[in-house]
Amino acid sequence: MEFIGKIFALAIAAIFVQNFVLMRFLGLCPYIGVSKKLDSALGMGMAVIFVMTMASTFTWLIQNFFLVPWKLEFLQTIAFILTIASLVQLVEMIIQKTAPSLYKALGVFLPLITTNCAVLGVAILNINDQLNFIEAIFNGFFAGIGFTLVLLLMAGIRERLEKAEIPACMKGTPIAMIVAGCMALAFLGFSGLKI
Amino acid sequence: MRLFQEFTKGFVKENPVFVMALGLCPTLAVTSSVENAIGMGMAATFVLAFSNSIISLIKNLIPSKIRIPAYIVVIASFVTIVDMVMNAYFPEIHKNLGLFIPLIVVNCIILGRAEAFASKNNLLRSVIDGLGMGLGFTLALIVIGSIREILGAGQLLGYNILPATYKPVLVAILAPGAFLVMGILMGLMNLKKNK
Amino acid sequence: MKYYLKLGFVLLIITVIASGILAFINSFTEPIIKFNEQKQKEEARREVHPEAASFDSIGTINNETITVYAARAENDSLIGYTFLAVKYGYSSDVKTMVGLRSDLSINKIKIISQAETPGLGANCTKPEFQEKFSNLKYDNLLVDKDGGNITSITGATITTRTITNSIKEAFDNLDPVLKNTKTEEVTE
Repeated sequence: MEFIGKIFALAIAAIFVQNFVLMRFLGLCPYIGVSKKLDSALGMGMAVIFVMTMASTFTWLIQNFFLVPWKLEFLQTIAFILTIASLVQLVEMIIQKTAPSLYKALGVFLPLITTNCAVLGVAILNINDQLNFIEAIFNGFFAGIGFTLVLLLMAGIRERLEKAEIPACMKGTPIAMIVAGCMALAFLGFSGLKI
Repeated sequence: MRLFQEFTKGFVKENPVFVMALGLCPTLAVTSSVENAIGMGMAATFVLAFSNSIISLIKNLIPSKIRIPAYIVVIASFVTIVDMVMNAYFPEIHKNLGLFIPLIVVNCIILGRAEAFASKNNLLRSVIDGLGMGLGFTLALIVIGSIREILGAGQLLGYNILPATYKPVLVAILAPGAFLVMGILMGLMNLKKNK
Repeated sequence: MKYYLKLGFVLLIITVIASGILAFINSFTEPIIKFNEQKQKEEARREVHPEAASFDSIGTINNETITVYAARAENDSLIGYTFLAVKYGYSSDVKTMVGLRSDLSINKIKIISQAETPGLGANCTKPEFQEKFSNLKYDNLLVDKDGGNITSITGATITTRTITNSIKEAFDNLDPVLKNTKTEEVTE
Protein backbone atom coordinates (compact mmCIF):
# COMPACT_ATOMS: atom_id res chain seq x y z
CA MET A 1 0.00 0.00 0.00
CA GLU A 2 2.85 2.31 0.85
CA PHE A 3 4.28 1.59 -2.60
CA ILE A 4 1.09 2.64 -4.36
CA GLY A 5 0.99 5.79 -2.26
CA LYS A 6 4.54 6.64 -3.25
CA ILE A 7 3.81 6.10 -6.94
CA PHE A 8 0.66 8.23 -6.66
CA ALA A 9 2.65 11.02 -5.05
CA LEU A 10 5.20 10.81 -7.88
CA ALA A 11 2.39 11.05 -10.43
CA ILE A 12 0.82 14.16 -8.88
CA ALA A 13 4.23 15.80 -8.52
CA ALA A 14 5.40 15.07 -12.08
CA ILE A 15 2.10 15.91 -13.79
CA PHE A 16 0.84 18.90 -11.80
CA VAL A 17 2.99 20.30 -8.99
CA GLN A 18 6.33 20.20 -10.80
CA ASN A 19 5.03 20.05 -14.35
CA PHE A 20 8.04 19.63 -16.62
CA VAL A 21 7.03 22.28 -19.12
CA LEU A 22 5.32 24.97 -17.08
CA MET A 23 7.18 24.76 -13.77
CA ARG A 24 10.58 23.31 -14.65
CA PHE A 25 10.90 24.86 -18.14
CA LEU A 26 11.91 21.60 -19.81
CA GLY A 27 10.88 20.65 -23.34
CA LEU A 28 9.81 24.14 -24.38
CA CYS A 29 10.99 23.87 -27.99
CA PRO A 30 8.54 21.09 -28.94
CA TYR A 31 5.92 22.68 -26.65
CA ILE A 32 5.96 25.86 -28.74
CA GLY A 33 6.96 24.20 -32.03
CA VAL A 34 4.58 21.24 -32.31
CA SER A 35 1.48 22.69 -30.66
CA LYS A 36 -0.14 24.24 -33.72
CA LYS A 37 -2.34 21.21 -34.52
CA LEU A 38 -4.08 18.90 -32.10
CA ASP A 39 -3.34 15.61 -33.92
CA SER A 40 0.38 16.28 -34.38
CA ALA A 41 0.54 17.32 -30.72
CA LEU A 42 -0.99 13.97 -29.77
CA GLY A 43 1.59 12.11 -31.90
CA MET A 44 4.45 14.04 -30.35
CA GLY A 45 3.07 13.47 -26.85
CA MET A 46 2.81 9.70 -27.34
CA ALA A 47 6.35 9.52 -28.73
CA VAL A 48 7.68 11.54 -25.78
CA ILE A 49 5.93 9.38 -23.16
CA PHE A 50 7.43 6.29 -24.80
CA VAL A 51 10.97 7.64 -25.09
CA MET A 52 10.95 9.19 -21.60
CA THR A 53 9.94 5.90 -19.98
CA MET A 54 12.58 3.98 -21.93
CA ALA A 55 15.25 6.62 -21.29
CA SER A 56 14.53 6.65 -17.54
CA THR A 57 14.89 2.86 -17.46
CA PHE A 58 18.16 2.64 -19.37
CA THR A 59 19.92 5.68 -17.94
CA TRP A 60 19.15 4.48 -14.40
CA LEU A 61 20.69 1.09 -15.19
CA ILE A 62 23.75 2.70 -16.78
CA GLN A 63 24.26 5.07 -13.85
CA ASN A 64 23.98 2.39 -11.16
CA PHE A 65 25.61 -0.60 -12.85
CA PHE A 66 28.25 1.11 -14.94
CA LEU A 67 29.09 4.68 -13.96
CA VAL A 68 28.92 4.39 -10.17
CA PRO A 69 30.84 1.07 -9.71
CA TRP A 70 33.59 2.26 -12.08
CA LYS A 71 33.71 5.75 -10.54
CA LEU A 72 32.90 7.35 -13.89
CA GLU A 73 30.19 9.72 -12.70
CA PHE A 74 31.86 12.60 -14.51
CA LEU A 75 30.92 10.93 -17.81
CA GLN A 76 27.22 11.10 -16.90
CA THR A 77 26.27 13.78 -19.45
CA ILE A 78 28.00 12.04 -22.38
CA ALA A 79 26.74 8.59 -21.42
CA PHE A 80 23.14 9.75 -20.99
CA ILE A 81 22.90 11.75 -24.18
CA LEU A 82 24.42 8.92 -26.21
CA THR A 83 22.01 6.45 -24.61
CA ILE A 84 19.07 8.66 -25.47
CA ALA A 85 20.26 9.24 -29.04
CA SER A 86 20.78 5.54 -29.73
CA LEU A 87 17.52 4.68 -28.00
CA VAL A 88 15.60 7.05 -30.24
CA GLN A 89 17.33 5.61 -33.30
CA LEU A 90 16.55 2.06 -32.19
CA VAL A 91 12.92 2.83 -31.44
CA GLU A 92 12.60 4.45 -34.84
CA MET A 93 13.99 1.36 -36.61
CA ILE A 94 11.86 -1.09 -34.62
CA ILE A 95 8.65 0.83 -35.15
CA GLN A 96 9.42 1.22 -38.85
CA LYS A 97 9.80 -2.56 -39.26
CA THR A 98 7.01 -3.80 -37.00
CA ALA A 99 4.30 -1.16 -37.04
CA PRO A 100 4.36 0.91 -40.22
CA SER A 101 1.12 2.70 -39.38
CA LEU A 102 2.44 3.80 -36.01
CA TYR A 103 5.66 4.85 -37.73
CA LYS A 104 3.66 7.03 -40.09
CA ALA A 105 2.07 8.78 -37.12
CA LEU A 106 5.16 9.14 -34.90
CA GLY A 107 8.06 8.90 -37.34
CA VAL A 108 8.62 12.58 -38.00
CA PHE A 109 8.70 13.40 -34.27
CA LEU A 110 11.22 10.80 -33.17
CA PRO A 111 14.45 12.49 -34.35
CA LEU A 112 13.30 15.73 -32.70
CA ILE A 113 13.10 14.00 -29.33
CA THR A 114 16.86 13.51 -28.98
CA THR A 115 17.26 17.24 -28.47
CA ASN A 116 14.18 17.53 -26.25
CA CYS A 117 15.73 18.61 -22.99
CA ALA A 118 12.85 17.10 -21.00
CA VAL A 119 14.17 13.60 -21.80
CA LEU A 120 17.73 14.25 -20.65
CA GLY A 121 16.25 16.32 -17.83
CA VAL A 122 14.15 13.50 -16.40
CA ALA A 123 17.11 11.10 -16.67
CA ILE A 124 19.34 13.41 -14.61
CA LEU A 125 16.58 14.32 -12.15
CA ASN A 126 15.93 10.61 -11.44
CA ILE A 127 19.55 10.31 -10.34
CA ASN A 128 19.68 13.62 -8.44
CA ASP A 129 16.50 12.80 -6.50
CA GLN A 130 17.91 9.35 -5.68
CA LEU A 131 14.87 7.48 -6.93
CA ASN A 132 15.02 3.67 -6.99
CA PHE A 133 14.64 1.70 -10.21
CA ILE A 134 10.85 1.30 -10.17
CA GLU A 135 10.28 4.90 -9.11
CA ALA A 136 12.58 6.13 -11.88
CA ILE A 137 10.59 4.26 -14.55
CA PHE A 138 7.30 5.62 -13.23
CA ASN A 139 8.73 9.11 -12.90
CA GLY A 140 9.76 9.05 -16.57
CA PHE A 141 6.32 7.82 -17.58
CA PHE A 142 4.46 10.43 -15.53
CA ALA A 143 6.73 13.25 -16.66
CA GLY A 144 5.82 12.26 -20.23
CA ILE A 145 2.11 12.33 -19.33
CA GLY A 146 2.54 15.79 -17.80
CA PHE A 147 4.26 16.99 -20.97
CA THR A 148 1.53 15.53 -23.18
CA LEU A 149 -1.24 17.03 -21.04
CA VAL A 150 0.00 20.63 -21.36
CA LEU A 151 0.95 20.08 -25.02
CA LEU A 152 -2.62 18.99 -25.83
CA LEU A 153 -4.14 21.86 -23.83
CA MET A 154 -1.89 24.27 -25.68
CA ALA A 155 -2.72 22.80 -29.10
CA GLY A 156 -6.43 23.04 -28.35
CA ILE A 157 -6.11 26.69 -27.41
CA ARG A 158 -3.91 27.54 -30.39
CA GLU A 159 -6.32 25.95 -32.88
CA ARG A 160 -8.96 28.38 -31.65
CA LEU A 161 -6.54 31.31 -31.51
CA GLU A 162 -6.16 30.91 -35.28
CA LYS A 163 -9.60 32.43 -35.69
CA ALA A 164 -9.20 35.06 -32.97
CA GLU A 165 -8.40 38.67 -33.72
CA ILE A 166 -5.02 39.43 -32.25
CA PRO A 167 -2.49 42.15 -33.17
CA ALA A 168 -0.34 41.07 -36.12
CA CYS A 169 2.91 41.37 -34.16
CA MET A 170 1.68 38.96 -31.50
CA LYS A 171 0.68 36.16 -33.92
CA GLY A 172 2.51 32.84 -33.64
CA THR A 173 5.16 32.35 -30.98
CA PRO A 174 4.53 35.56 -28.93
CA ILE A 175 0.88 34.80 -28.24
CA ALA A 176 1.79 31.15 -27.55
CA MET A 177 4.15 32.42 -24.84
CA ILE A 178 1.42 34.56 -23.29
CA VAL A 179 -0.95 31.57 -23.31
CA ALA A 180 1.77 29.45 -21.71
CA GLY A 181 2.19 32.16 -19.06
CA CYS A 182 -1.52 32.04 -18.23
CA MET A 183 -1.37 28.23 -18.03
CA ALA A 184 1.66 28.46 -15.75
CA LEU A 185 -0.32 30.86 -13.51
CA ALA A 186 -3.03 28.22 -13.23
CA PHE A 187 -0.48 25.50 -12.50
CA LEU A 188 1.08 27.69 -9.82
CA GLY A 189 -2.05 26.90 -7.84
CA PHE A 190 -0.85 23.31 -7.48
CA SER A 191 2.42 24.23 -5.81
CA GLY A 192 2.55 23.53 -2.12
CA LEU A 193 0.23 20.58 -2.64
CA LYS A 194 1.38 17.76 -0.37
CA ILE A 195 0.51 14.10 -0.38
CA MET B 1 35.08 43.69 -42.12
CA ARG B 2 33.32 40.47 -43.13
CA LEU B 3 34.58 38.82 -39.97
CA PHE B 4 33.21 41.67 -37.91
CA GLN B 5 29.80 41.14 -39.45
CA GLU B 6 30.08 37.44 -38.70
CA PHE B 7 30.68 38.40 -35.07
CA THR B 8 27.85 40.90 -34.66
CA LYS B 9 25.10 39.11 -36.61
CA GLY B 10 24.10 37.13 -33.52
CA PHE B 11 23.49 40.26 -31.44
CA VAL B 12 20.35 41.53 -33.12
CA LYS B 13 19.79 40.46 -36.73
CA GLU B 14 20.06 36.69 -36.14
CA ASN B 15 19.67 36.72 -32.37
CA PRO B 16 19.26 33.06 -31.42
CA VAL B 17 16.62 33.74 -28.78
CA PHE B 18 14.44 36.59 -30.04
CA VAL B 19 14.65 36.00 -33.78
CA MET B 20 15.20 32.27 -34.12
CA ALA B 21 13.36 31.21 -30.90
CA LEU B 22 16.08 28.66 -30.08
CA GLY B 23 17.26 27.58 -26.65
CA LEU B 24 14.06 28.63 -24.93
CA CYS B 25 14.38 26.30 -21.93
CA PRO B 26 17.45 27.86 -20.30
CA THR B 27 16.33 31.32 -21.44
CA LEU B 28 13.20 31.12 -19.35
CA ALA B 29 14.50 28.95 -16.53
CA VAL B 30 17.59 30.85 -15.39
CA THR B 31 16.53 34.47 -15.96
CA SER B 32 14.95 35.09 -12.57
CA SER B 33 18.04 37.18 -11.80
CA VAL B 34 20.71 38.91 -13.90
CA GLU B 35 23.54 37.09 -12.10
CA ASN B 36 22.21 33.68 -13.17
CA ALA B 37 21.60 35.00 -16.69
CA ILE B 38 25.25 36.07 -17.02
CA GLY B 39 26.50 32.75 -15.64
CA MET B 40 24.39 30.75 -18.07
CA GLY B 41 25.33 32.99 -21.00
CA MET B 42 29.04 32.66 -20.29
CA ALA B 43 28.83 28.87 -19.93
CA ALA B 44 26.97 28.56 -23.23
CA THR B 45 29.37 30.95 -25.01
CA PHE B 46 32.36 28.89 -23.86
CA VAL B 47 30.78 25.66 -25.10
CA LEU B 48 29.72 27.25 -28.40
CA ALA B 49 33.15 28.71 -29.20
CA PHE B 50 35.05 25.53 -28.37
CA SER B 51 32.65 23.02 -29.90
CA ASN B 52 32.48 25.15 -33.06
CA SER B 53 36.26 25.26 -33.36
CA ILE B 54 36.79 21.53 -32.75
CA ILE B 55 34.03 20.58 -35.15
CA SER B 56 35.39 22.84 -37.85
CA LEU B 57 38.82 21.20 -37.38
CA ILE B 58 37.61 17.59 -37.57
CA LYS B 59 34.78 18.10 -40.07
CA ASN B 60 36.66 16.31 -42.86
CA LEU B 61 37.59 13.32 -40.71
CA ILE B 62 34.05 12.38 -39.78
CA PRO B 63 31.85 10.34 -42.16
CA SER B 64 28.65 12.29 -42.72
CA LYS B 65 26.47 9.41 -41.52
CA ILE B 66 27.68 9.67 -37.93
CA ARG B 67 28.31 13.41 -37.83
CA ILE B 68 25.40 14.20 -35.48
CA PRO B 69 26.43 11.68 -32.76
CA ALA B 70 30.05 12.80 -33.17
CA TYR B 71 29.04 16.46 -32.71
CA ILE B 72 26.98 15.51 -29.66
CA VAL B 73 30.00 13.81 -28.07
CA VAL B 74 32.17 16.90 -28.69
CA ILE B 75 29.50 19.23 -27.28
CA ALA B 76 28.82 16.97 -24.28
CA SER B 77 32.55 16.91 -23.46
CA PHE B 78 32.78 20.70 -23.32
CA VAL B 79 29.58 20.88 -21.33
CA THR B 80 31.04 18.45 -18.80
CA ILE B 81 34.21 20.56 -18.59
CA VAL B 82 32.15 23.70 -17.91
CA ASP B 83 30.11 21.76 -15.35
CA MET B 84 33.21 20.59 -13.45
CA VAL B 85 35.05 23.91 -13.59
CA MET B 86 32.01 25.92 -12.47
CA ASN B 87 31.38 23.48 -9.64
CA ALA B 88 34.98 23.88 -8.48
CA TYR B 89 35.41 27.65 -8.81
CA PHE B 90 31.90 29.17 -8.82
CA PRO B 91 29.92 26.78 -6.59
CA GLU B 92 27.26 29.42 -5.85
CA ILE B 93 26.27 30.01 -9.50
CA HIS B 94 26.65 26.30 -10.22
CA LYS B 95 24.06 25.56 -7.54
CA ASN B 96 21.62 28.16 -8.88
CA LEU B 97 21.84 26.95 -12.48
CA GLY B 98 21.74 23.32 -11.35
CA LEU B 99 20.17 21.01 -13.90
CA PHE B 100 20.49 23.53 -16.70
CA ILE B 101 24.26 23.21 -17.00
CA PRO B 102 24.24 19.57 -18.20
CA LEU B 103 21.22 20.49 -20.31
CA ILE B 104 23.36 22.87 -22.41
CA VAL B 105 24.07 19.68 -24.39
CA VAL B 106 20.58 19.68 -25.84
CA ASN B 107 20.43 23.44 -26.33
CA CYS B 108 19.38 23.67 -29.98
CA ILE B 109 21.56 26.76 -30.53
CA ILE B 110 24.77 24.78 -30.08
CA LEU B 111 23.97 21.75 -32.23
CA GLY B 112 22.34 24.15 -34.68
CA ARG B 113 25.51 26.23 -35.12
CA ALA B 114 27.65 23.10 -35.36
CA GLU B 115 25.51 21.69 -38.16
CA ALA B 116 24.69 24.93 -39.98
CA PHE B 117 27.98 26.79 -39.65
CA ALA B 118 31.01 25.03 -38.17
CA SER B 119 30.70 21.98 -40.41
CA LYS B 120 30.98 24.22 -43.49
CA ASN B 121 33.45 26.93 -42.47
CA ASN B 122 37.09 27.29 -41.46
CA LEU B 123 38.41 27.50 -37.92
CA LEU B 124 38.63 31.29 -37.55
CA ARG B 125 35.15 31.98 -38.88
CA SER B 126 33.68 29.17 -36.77
CA VAL B 127 35.19 30.53 -33.56
CA ILE B 128 33.99 34.05 -34.36
CA ASP B 129 30.52 32.72 -35.17
CA GLY B 130 30.45 30.76 -31.90
CA LEU B 131 31.54 33.76 -29.84
CA GLY B 132 29.07 36.08 -31.58
CA MET B 133 26.12 33.73 -31.21
CA GLY B 134 27.07 33.01 -27.60
CA LEU B 135 27.23 36.70 -26.76
CA GLY B 136 23.91 37.26 -28.56
CA PHE B 137 22.41 34.55 -26.37
CA THR B 138 23.96 36.13 -23.26
CA LEU B 139 22.62 39.54 -24.27
CA ALA B 140 19.09 38.15 -24.63
CA LEU B 141 19.36 36.44 -21.23
CA ILE B 142 20.55 39.67 -19.58
CA VAL B 143 17.69 41.69 -21.12
CA ILE B 144 15.05 39.22 -19.89
CA GLY B 145 16.83 38.78 -16.55
CA SER B 146 16.97 42.55 -15.93
CA ILE B 147 13.30 43.06 -16.68
CA ARG B 148 12.27 40.18 -14.42
CA GLU B 149 14.59 41.14 -11.57
CA ILE B 150 13.57 44.81 -11.62
CA LEU B 151 9.84 44.06 -11.80
CA GLY B 152 9.85 41.09 -9.49
CA ALA B 153 12.33 42.13 -6.79
CA GLY B 154 12.99 45.85 -7.40
CA GLN B 155 16.67 44.96 -7.71
CA LEU B 156 19.38 44.73 -10.33
CA LEU B 157 22.30 42.37 -9.72
CA GLY B 158 21.15 42.16 -6.11
CA TYR B 159 21.20 45.92 -5.46
CA ASN B 160 18.00 47.80 -4.68
CA ILE B 161 17.45 50.27 -7.48
CA LEU B 162 13.82 51.18 -6.96
CA PRO B 163 12.50 53.22 -4.00
CA ALA B 164 11.47 51.18 -0.98
CA THR B 165 7.83 52.10 -1.59
CA TYR B 166 7.87 49.95 -4.75
CA LYS B 167 5.95 46.78 -4.17
CA PRO B 168 7.54 43.99 -6.23
CA VAL B 169 5.37 42.17 -8.76
CA LEU B 170 6.30 38.73 -7.46
CA VAL B 171 4.87 36.90 -10.44
CA ALA B 172 7.67 38.27 -12.65
CA ILE B 173 10.30 36.10 -10.97
CA LEU B 174 8.00 33.07 -10.75
CA ALA B 175 7.46 30.68 -13.66
CA PRO B 176 4.50 32.45 -15.32
CA GLY B 177 6.39 35.76 -15.43
CA ALA B 178 9.07 34.15 -17.59
CA PHE B 179 6.54 33.24 -20.26
CA LEU B 180 4.71 36.57 -20.12
CA VAL B 181 7.87 38.72 -20.33
CA MET B 182 9.22 36.56 -23.17
CA GLY B 183 5.93 36.75 -25.12
CA ILE B 184 5.71 40.53 -24.82
CA LEU B 185 9.38 41.01 -25.80
CA MET B 186 8.97 38.80 -28.87
CA GLY B 187 5.84 40.75 -29.84
CA LEU B 188 7.74 44.04 -29.55
CA MET B 189 10.56 42.65 -31.71
CA ASN B 190 8.02 41.70 -34.39
CA LEU B 191 6.40 45.12 -34.19
CA LYS B 192 9.74 46.81 -34.78
CA LYS B 193 10.66 44.45 -37.62
CA ASN B 194 7.41 44.94 -39.51
CA LYS B 195 7.56 48.72 -39.48
CA MET C 1 29.41 -4.26 -43.22
CA LYS C 2 33.01 -3.07 -43.26
CA TYR C 3 31.74 0.48 -43.74
CA TYR C 4 29.57 0.29 -40.63
CA LEU C 5 32.48 -1.12 -38.62
CA LYS C 6 34.50 1.89 -39.69
CA LEU C 7 31.71 4.24 -38.60
CA GLY C 8 31.54 2.59 -35.20
CA PHE C 9 35.32 2.74 -34.90
CA VAL C 10 35.48 6.49 -35.64
CA LEU C 11 32.78 7.19 -33.09
CA LEU C 12 34.55 4.99 -30.55
CA ILE C 13 37.82 6.88 -31.01
CA ILE C 14 36.12 10.24 -30.53
CA THR C 15 34.42 9.02 -27.36
CA VAL C 16 37.63 7.55 -25.95
CA ILE C 17 39.58 10.78 -26.57
CA ALA C 18 36.77 12.82 -25.00
CA SER C 19 36.60 10.55 -21.94
CA GLY C 20 40.39 10.76 -21.51
CA ILE C 21 40.36 14.56 -21.53
CA LEU C 22 37.45 14.63 -19.10
CA ALA C 23 39.13 12.19 -16.73
CA PHE C 24 42.23 14.40 -16.78
CA ILE C 25 40.27 17.57 -15.92
CA ASN C 26 38.17 15.72 -13.39
CA SER C 27 41.29 14.71 -11.47
CA PHE C 28 41.96 18.43 -10.94
CA THR C 29 38.47 19.67 -10.14
CA GLU C 30 37.19 16.80 -8.02
CA PRO C 31 39.34 17.51 -4.92
CA ILE C 32 38.46 21.22 -5.13
CA ILE C 33 34.75 20.42 -5.29
CA LYS C 34 34.98 18.07 -2.30
CA PHE C 35 37.03 20.63 -0.38
CA ASN C 36 34.47 23.39 -1.12
CA GLU C 37 31.61 21.23 0.12
CA GLN C 38 33.44 20.49 3.35
CA LYS C 39 34.38 24.15 3.80
CA GLN C 40 30.82 25.30 3.24
CA LYS C 41 29.50 22.99 5.94
CA GLU C 42 32.32 23.92 8.27
CA GLU C 43 31.55 27.61 7.75
CA ALA C 44 27.85 27.08 8.42
CA ARG C 45 28.74 25.27 11.65
CA ARG C 46 31.03 28.09 12.67
CA GLU C 47 28.29 30.59 11.94
CA VAL C 48 25.88 29.01 14.43
CA HIS C 49 28.66 28.55 17.02
CA PRO C 50 31.09 31.44 16.43
CA GLU C 51 32.97 30.91 19.68
CA ALA C 52 33.74 27.21 19.06
CA ALA C 53 37.27 26.18 18.08
CA SER C 54 36.60 22.71 16.73
CA PHE C 55 33.76 20.38 15.84
CA ASP C 56 33.73 16.61 16.01
CA SER C 57 31.06 14.21 14.88
CA ILE C 58 29.41 12.36 17.78
CA GLY C 59 26.82 10.22 16.02
CA THR C 60 23.91 10.13 13.64
CA ILE C 61 20.13 10.34 14.17
CA ASN C 62 16.95 9.96 12.06
CA ASN C 63 18.14 6.84 10.17
CA GLU C 64 21.65 8.21 9.78
CA THR C 65 20.44 11.18 7.73
CA ILE C 66 21.54 13.76 10.28
CA THR C 67 25.03 13.89 11.76
CA VAL C 68 25.34 15.60 15.12
CA TYR C 69 28.55 17.47 15.91
CA ALA C 70 29.86 18.56 19.28
CA ALA C 71 31.22 22.11 19.37
CA ARG C 72 34.25 22.52 21.61
CA ALA C 73 36.13 25.57 22.86
CA GLU C 74 39.93 25.92 22.71
CA ASN C 75 40.44 23.99 25.96
CA ASP C 76 38.32 21.13 24.56
CA SER C 77 35.37 21.84 26.88
CA LEU C 78 31.94 21.23 25.38
CA ILE C 79 30.00 24.38 24.48
CA GLY C 80 27.20 22.84 22.48
CA TYR C 81 26.07 20.83 19.48
CA THR C 82 25.26 21.45 15.83
CA PHE C 83 23.23 19.50 13.32
CA LEU C 84 21.62 20.03 9.94
CA ALA C 85 17.82 19.76 10.02
CA VAL C 86 16.11 19.02 6.68
CA LYS C 87 12.42 19.00 5.81
CA TYR C 88 10.32 19.52 2.67
CA GLY C 89 8.64 22.93 2.85
CA TYR C 90 6.32 24.58 0.35
CA SER C 91 8.26 23.78 -2.80
CA SER C 92 11.70 22.55 -1.78
CA ASP C 93 13.84 20.91 0.85
CA VAL C 94 14.71 23.51 3.47
CA LYS C 95 18.07 22.81 5.13
CA THR C 96 18.72 24.53 8.43
CA MET C 97 21.99 24.44 10.36
CA VAL C 98 21.12 24.51 14.06
CA GLY C 99 23.51 25.42 16.86
CA LEU C 100 22.56 24.31 20.38
CA ARG C 101 24.19 25.35 23.62
CA SER C 102 25.06 22.62 26.08
CA ASP C 103 21.82 23.31 28.01
CA LEU C 104 19.97 22.50 24.73
CA SER C 105 18.72 26.02 24.10
CA ILE C 106 19.22 27.30 20.56
CA ASN C 107 22.25 29.49 20.07
CA LYS C 108 21.66 30.40 16.42
CA ILE C 109 20.16 28.90 13.28
CA LYS C 110 21.09 29.44 9.65
CA ILE C 111 19.09 28.42 6.59
CA ILE C 112 21.74 27.08 4.21
CA SER C 113 19.66 25.92 1.30
CA GLN C 114 16.08 26.43 0.14
CA ALA C 115 14.11 27.13 -3.04
CA GLU C 116 10.86 28.42 -1.59
CA THR C 117 8.68 31.03 -3.30
CA PRO C 118 10.80 34.15 -3.91
CA GLY C 119 9.51 37.11 -1.91
CA LEU C 120 7.47 34.90 0.47
CA GLY C 121 8.95 31.67 1.81
CA ALA C 122 12.42 32.60 0.55
CA ASN C 123 12.45 35.44 3.10
CA CYS C 124 13.38 32.78 5.66
CA THR C 125 17.04 33.44 4.80
CA LYS C 126 16.76 36.99 6.21
CA PRO C 127 18.65 37.49 9.50
CA GLU C 128 15.58 39.07 11.17
CA PHE C 129 13.74 35.79 10.81
CA GLN C 130 16.58 33.53 11.86
CA GLU C 131 17.24 35.62 14.98
CA LYS C 132 13.77 34.75 16.28
CA PHE C 133 14.97 31.23 16.98
CA SER C 134 17.85 32.25 19.24
CA ASN C 135 17.44 31.30 22.92
CA LEU C 136 14.38 29.12 22.28
CA LYS C 137 14.15 25.74 23.95
CA TYR C 138 12.34 22.61 22.78
CA ASP C 139 9.05 23.59 24.44
CA ASN C 140 8.97 27.04 22.81
CA LEU C 141 9.39 25.70 19.28
CA LEU C 142 5.88 26.60 18.15
CA VAL C 143 4.69 28.92 15.36
CA ASP C 144 2.32 31.79 16.30
CA LYS C 145 -0.48 30.25 14.20
CA ASP C 146 -0.27 27.20 16.48
CA GLY C 147 -0.21 29.25 19.65
CA GLY C 148 3.55 29.70 19.98
CA ASN C 149 5.88 32.69 19.88
CA ILE C 150 7.67 32.32 16.55
CA THR C 151 6.22 35.00 14.27
CA SER C 152 5.69 33.42 10.88
CA ILE C 153 6.93 35.02 7.67
CA THR C 154 4.15 37.02 6.01
CA GLY C 155 2.30 34.73 3.60
CA ALA C 156 4.56 31.76 4.30
CA THR C 157 3.27 29.92 7.32
CA ILE C 158 4.17 26.59 5.72
CA THR C 159 7.85 27.48 5.39
CA THR C 160 7.99 28.79 8.95
CA ARG C 161 6.27 25.69 10.26
CA THR C 162 8.61 23.44 8.24
CA ILE C 163 11.72 25.00 9.74
CA THR C 164 10.30 24.83 13.25
CA ASN C 165 9.20 21.22 12.87
CA SER C 166 12.44 20.09 11.23
CA ILE C 167 14.35 21.32 14.29
CA LYS C 168 11.80 19.79 16.62
CA GLU C 169 11.96 16.38 14.91
CA ALA C 170 15.73 16.30 15.26
CA PHE C 171 15.35 17.28 18.93
CA ASP C 172 13.05 14.33 19.54
CA ASN C 173 15.78 11.86 18.64
CA LEU C 174 18.75 13.70 20.06
CA ASP C 175 18.85 12.05 23.49
CA PRO C 176 20.75 8.79 22.78
CA VAL C 177 23.53 10.59 20.90
CA LEU C 178 23.96 13.21 23.62
CA LYS C 179 24.06 10.58 26.37
CA ASN C 180 27.01 8.96 24.63
CA THR C 181 29.03 12.15 24.66
CA LYS C 182 28.19 12.86 28.27
CA THR C 183 29.64 9.48 29.39
CA GLU C 184 32.70 10.10 27.24
CA GLU C 185 33.35 13.26 29.16
CA VAL C 186 33.11 11.49 32.50
CA THR C 187 35.78 8.99 31.51
CA GLU C 188 37.98 11.85 30.37
